[in-house]
Amino acid sequence: MPLPARFSRVFTGLFHAVLTLLLIASLSGLQAQDVDQALYDAGEKVFKGNCASCHKPDANMTGPALKGARERWDGKGDIYAWIRNSQEYLKTGNEYANKLFEEWNKSVMTPMALSDEEIDAVLYYADNYAPPAPKGGGDVAQAPTGPTDAGSLWPWMLVLILLFVVVALSLTGVKKSLANAVQEAEGREPLPDRTFVQSVQEWAWNNKGLATVIGLAVTVWVVLALWNFAWTIGVYGGDEVAHYRPEQPIAFNHTLHAGSAGDGNLAINCQYCHSGAEKSKHAGIPSANVCMNCHQAVNQGRTEAGTADIQKIYAAVGWDPETMKYTGEPEPIRWVKVHNLPDHVYFPHDAHVAVAKLECQECHGPIDKEMTVAEQWAPLTMGWCIECHGDKAVKLAGTDNGYYEEMHRRLIENEKLGHRELKKWLEDEKVTVKELGGWECAKCHY
Amino acid sequence: MSSTKRYWKDLAELHQDPEALAGRENEFPTDLPIDQVLGDPKFNGATTGRRDFLKFLGFSVSAATLAACETPVVKSIPYVNKPEEITPGVATWYASTYYDGDDYASILVKTREGRPIHIMGNPRHGLNNDAKAGKGAINARINSSVLALYDSERVKGPVMRHEGGFMPHSWEEADKAIMGKLDELSKAGKRIVVLTGTVISPATRQAIDKLKNRFGGSTVEQEDGLEVSMGGRVDHVQYDTISYAGLTRANKACFGKAVMPSYDLTKADVLVSFGADFLSTWGNTTEHTWQYAQRRKPEGGHMNRHWQFEARMSLTGANADVRVPTLPSALPKAIIALHDHLAKKAGASTVGGASAEMSEATAKVADELWAARGKSLVLAGANDEGVQTLVNHINWMLGNYGQSIDMAGHSWMKQGDDAAMDRLVQDLNAGKVGAILLHGVNPVYSLPDGASFAAGLAKADLSVSFSGHADETASHCAWICPDNHYLESWNDLMPRVGHYALAQPVISPLFNTRQWQDSLLAWSGADMGYHQLIKSTWEAAMTNYGSMTSFENAWNKAVHDGVFHAYDAEAVELTFTGDLSGAAKQAALMPGQGTFEVELYTSPALGNGLHANNPWLQEMPDPLTKVTWDNYVCMAPSDMEQLGLQTYLGQESPASLVTLSVGDRTLELPAVPLPGQKPGSVSVALGYGRGANGERVGRAACLSDDDGNPVPVGRNAYPMTRMSGSAVSYVTAGELTATGGTYPIGITQTHLTDMDRHSVVKEVDLKTFLTADKEVYNHPHELAVHEDVNGDGVVDARDKKSVLEFDLWNAHAVEGVGHRWGMSIDLNSCIGCGACITACNSENNIPVVGKDEVRRSREMHWMRIDRYYSSDMTKERAQEEGLGKIGMYLDMEVPSEKPSVVFMPVMCQHCNHAPCETVCPVAATTHSNEGLNQMTYNRCIGTRYCANNCPYKVRRFNWFNYVTEKFGEVNPAWDEVGRMVLNPDVTVRSRGVIEKCSMCVQRIQAGKIAAKKDGSPVKDGDIQTACSSGCPTSAITFGDLNDEGSLVRQLATSDRAYHMLEEVGVQPNVNYLVKVRNTEEAAHGHHA
Repeated sequence: MPLPARFSRVFTGLFHAVLTLLLIASLSGLQAQDVDQALYDAGEKVFKGNCASCHKPDANMTGPALKGARERWDGKGDIYAWIRNSQEYLKTGNEYANKLFEEWNKSVMTPMALSDEEIDAVLYYADNYAPPAPKGGGDVAQAPTGPTDAGSLWPWMLVLILLFVVVALSLTGVKKSLANAVQEAEGREPLPDRTFVQSVQEWAWNNKGLATVIGLAVTVWVVLALWNFAWTIGVYGGDEVAHYRPEQPIAFNHTLHAGSAGDGNLAINCQYCHSGAEKSKHAGIPSANVCMNCHQAVNQGRTEAGTADIQKIYAAVGWDPETMKYTGEPEPIRWVKVHNLPDHVYFPHDAHVAVAKLECQECHGPIDKEMTVAEQWAPLTMGWCIECHGDKAVKLAGTDNGYYEEMHRRLIENEKLGHRELKKWLEDEKVTVKELGGWECAKCHY
Repeated sequence: MSSTKRYWKDLAELHQDPEALAGRENEFPTDLPIDQVLGDPKFNGATTGRRDFLKFLGFSVSAATLAACETPVVKSIPYVNKPEEITPGVATWYASTYYDGDDYASILVKTREGRPIHIMGNPRHGLNNDAKAGKGAINARINSSVLALYDSERVKGPVMRHEGGFMPHSWEEADKAIMGKLDELSKAGKRIVVLTGTVISPATRQAIDKLKNRFGGSTVEQEDGLEVSMGGRVDHVQYDTISYAGLTRANKACFGKAVMPSYDLTKADVLVSFGADFLSTWGNTTEHTWQYAQRRKPEGGHMNRHWQFEARMSLTGANADVRVPTLPSALPKAIIALHDHLAKKAGASTVGGASAEMSEATAKVADELWAARGKSLVLAGANDEGVQTLVNHINWMLGNYGQSIDMAGHSWMKQGDDAAMDRLVQDLNAGKVGAILLHGVNPVYSLPDGASFAAGLAKADLSVSFSGHADETASHCAWICPDNHYLESWNDLMPRVGHYALAQPVISPLFNTRQWQDSLLAWSGADMGYHQLIKSTWEAAMTNYGSMTSFENAWNKAVHDGVFHAYDAEAVELTFTGDLSGAAKQAALMPGQGTFEVELYTSPALGNGLHANNPWLQEMPDPLTKVTWDNYVCMAPSDMEQLGLQTYLGQESPASLVTLSVGDRTLELPAVPLPGQKPGSVSVALGYGRGANGERVGRAACLSDDDGNPVPVGRNAYPMTRMSGSAVSYVTAGELTATGGTYPIGITQTHLTDMDRHSVVKEVDLKTFLTADKEVYNHPHELAVHEDVNGDGVVDARDKKSVLEFDLWNAHAVEGVGHRWGMSIDLNSCIGCGACITACNSENNIPVVGKDEVRRSREMHWMRIDRYYSSDMTKERAQEEGLGKIGMYLDMEVPSEKPSVVFMPVMCQHCNHAPCETVCPVAATTHSNEGLNQMTYNRCIGTRYCANNCPYKVRRFNWFNYVTEKFGEVNPAWDEVGRMVLNPDVTVRSRGVIEKCSMCVQRIQAGKIAAKKDGSPVKDGDIQTACSSGCPTSAITFGDLNDEGSLVRQLATSDRAYHMLEEVGVQPNVNYLVKVRNTEEAAHGHHA
């Protein structure tokens, strides 16, 4: 690993440590709130069990926000009766109730068999509702760290080198002054005033062998550096170069959606959205109507930015959150493609996901753990592809996949060539993708 | 009065200021102040030397280069609402039906991301479905039709003629104007004519009826409370571009029904055709091809016997067992002779008048037919009532009706009435037609006298064309209300009694076009769309004939299948009522006076010419002459030699130009030798010469020169057709003279014979095949070795080993390991039609390169069909005549006057010991462990060593980047619309790389992934290459040679299988099956 990359690792590590400390500090701050925790918790329980499918404590959904409901009803009617059976209560002719019913498109609320205490608890919970603090995938830890760009260390390196040069030059100057002083003291002519280059030349002339070795070494180093640099042109992702992470029209948070539930994330299966992965060469970017399966109800993000982004989905599908209706004026989202393979490469997602049963993360990295915005994690170079093909084992026999069983049958029934090939393949005790033809040109290029 | 006005540029000129005017004559000042500029003292201090200049230059170049390294940002825009049936990256197939008035087929359309990109025959349903082989037959014209959808020269919305040009309008404006005019005309009692090709759509007929009802004759309508009599009259005239009126009229006379019968070639043991090219253009070819092929499998001895009497070597004639070159004027005489032979046998009355020559020529045919009574079929191509009446009687005497000919379940196609069309032209010119609506026809181009139709059109008060292009006829019309392309349309069809079919749209209309039936419905004031009309028509039909549970289910099934087989026609008692002596008299009429008899034919590529704007078809070589992008005069080589015309055509040997004159019509065309053409006759293809007056007929039908003037492809020969009796005749006579000029021709095969090389094509006669051992006709190639193989104690020339035992290379472990993809091509079934070539074009994004590049042998087709004529010279004959080796081989290059023909599809043979692979310096072409010879474009640096080392010459080099404006005129992939036809699974190759047949590796990979996902072995037949699925005769079989149960393996190990150029020892994965001819004399070619 080249030096800059190692530096970058150390820096990133330190950075994370600092962030973690900050996070712990912020979490502890949450504890200090002046509420009746027991009543609040009881209300939350009832709310989640009965109300949450249509109501939110602090925002309108299918039904109105519950926060402030008691206040709104104050003096206008019997909120308890209204909650228990709204249809019955409407028949009493209560003015406010009928007004509400009209305002909410005459949607009928399911009758609720709740005690007064329970209703009190729910309303208390709603009035004192505080959104849960983000955990794990929350945004404090998600502050954009910038791409882990090895190149960003170069300025520091340059400063160091410059410092070194300045020190070296001044030292030479000091040394020369001292030498001249000695010369003067000894009554000789001062040393001729040579430039740095001239002195290097003279030194090299006097030490030909050493100079040759150093010269060669420098040349080789430069050539190698250039060569290595050339390999990274146009390459993103991987250990040693920047991960491509373009700015997207919607800062879709993969960690929040796909991350594990234990960390407070939603743990949605990747293929819920990328449904092409098992069926097609393309995993596919989900069409905006897939977003709406959830976001029709979920109209608030965990952050303000998140809420703003959800509004962008509404703009894309043409959804008016006020009237809860489609306007019929969609505007497609122009995502920036992150994983760009050249046109002459045929990469089928289905073969890798449905047949080889690879996890998405094997190529796309910890997208569910530490990528808020999708980035190109793997370099996607041909070397990277075939490295995996040369290593991964394919289970030929003893699978329930009839295709591989048939391939295996042909091998073992062919005593001459089949056995020879199989023996050759099994030298490392596995049959790799490569041995089944995974390194052949026309497997991916046609 | 002469003008005294003076114009001036500036005041100096106005005032004629001599000082300012001095030097005005010179555009530039003569004394450029170079010295003055360079002498400026401020440059003296300039320090930028030459070296510095170079440094700056170098810096800016490298800076620009580095800046260019940045990866471009690619946008990805998903659907907002993804349609349920579309998964990006996965093809969706729709069943539909192709019908253009001439060809008919049930098809499957492959769409990717909503774009149709490929067409194949429906493997399960339809008249063109070969149930035995499990595939649907189509032809090149049908599978190329997908490209026509993406023609950027289509009319993009309704347009009205205005001062010599066309002005775009909205549909509302068009409807208002046209309906108003129609109302006005019908009130004035003028005729309204709907002129179409044969309409076989029940719903379209209803739409026309609705128009009739709206503007029809005697109906009384209420208008503003008053009864108004509508005096107009709506006529529907049907006109077939290539007429079958002679045949349908004969059937009317003989059996009382003016229709074309359905033929079943599978039931004909003996098949005799008099000039009917039934495999490529005559009748419903998509039925004939698969039926014919079923009877050309020699195994089991079920092979039919096929006689062909004809003047031009047609595709059908090239496949015949016995082909008798006959002058067009002699064909009716041959039919009379055959008729009389059979009449004598049957005890019927003869018609007399057969010449002794023809009597002799047909005696044997008569015997064979008589022996195969009820199991034979006689067809005639002539569009002549007399000829067809005689042929009907021949089939009648042979008892073929109810067997190979079905009159009850007849075809609904070819209903065109030439006499009605003739009357219409007269009426138009007499000003008797108020309005004319045209669909699917182009009479200005295709009538014998198109000019008079154009003149008549100008006299109509309203002329509306539904054409998709502003073609020869549409450009004379007042309105063009463009119809959708058929892939954008709903339609229903009834090709045969009891057989319904559906066409469904597979893409939304690309342009602002509207189905012509919807236009008819709008103008007739109907309150339903055409889709609804079809549904209601079908509901009635399905209720009558189906045992359906619900209409929606039955309809959905019909949409899914593409067809609805309502019922089988019940056999009817026929009585023959034709007038034989009258028929014989009419048949014997001479086609006209002239030194040469002229036959006007339709070519397998372009057909009647309405699709001449399809570059794939233009670049598809003619099966016989191998000429692309032109029509020409086909001549017997002996006639050409007499006239001193060039008989060898090639890159540097242009064709001689000749002037063909028939009456007052003349055409200047190149002359092309066609061995087998009857001397004394010439043939010219119809369907060329579109857009000669600069009409926008669509790309590739008409090119343009450097100045933008139209250069039509070929010349229009329709003016040489003529009305004869009540039908158009395609036979005439005229004079032919050499102009002395020459004309370059794009030809893909310059050699004519195989020069007696039996390792290329092997053939055998049926009797030998059935009785003799494989060694006799398919002897494997052997090489003498220096060891005692036969054990006779002597090492001599008799010690031989099979060529398979010699290996220069290490064998690839493909035998029995994994897959081994291979192909078997049956030379017996291959009829040479070229459907595989266009199917391959469509699947593999093959660029079209244009005539000039073809002329330089730079065509890019991944597969070609080699055509070999037999030669009269053989090794035996040379020995008898004492001819030397050189003389013998020279003579072997000359095809026989009555040649037999072999068609041989050749693509990359995927050699297991591929010579191309060993010479590639960059390993761009390598072998896969599945037996494929892989080509990696991105590795290729274009040395072309591989192409040089390929014994089959199947590698193609990209001399240019064909996706550029330079090839824009011919290459469909060039513009924004055209490139939508590209297959996204196949790379578009760039300049400087070699390409070749990949055996549709993209389909193999997709098939393997599907099998792996399914968890089952690849099923034989599930993976098909474009050529194998596109082959109407199942001549090409693709599959896994390592799969013991596969058909390809069975064929590859059969007695007929051999490898082309086996002696080279490259061990291809493609094999051929020996051609078997059902001849009595030993087949040409001897196989020691």
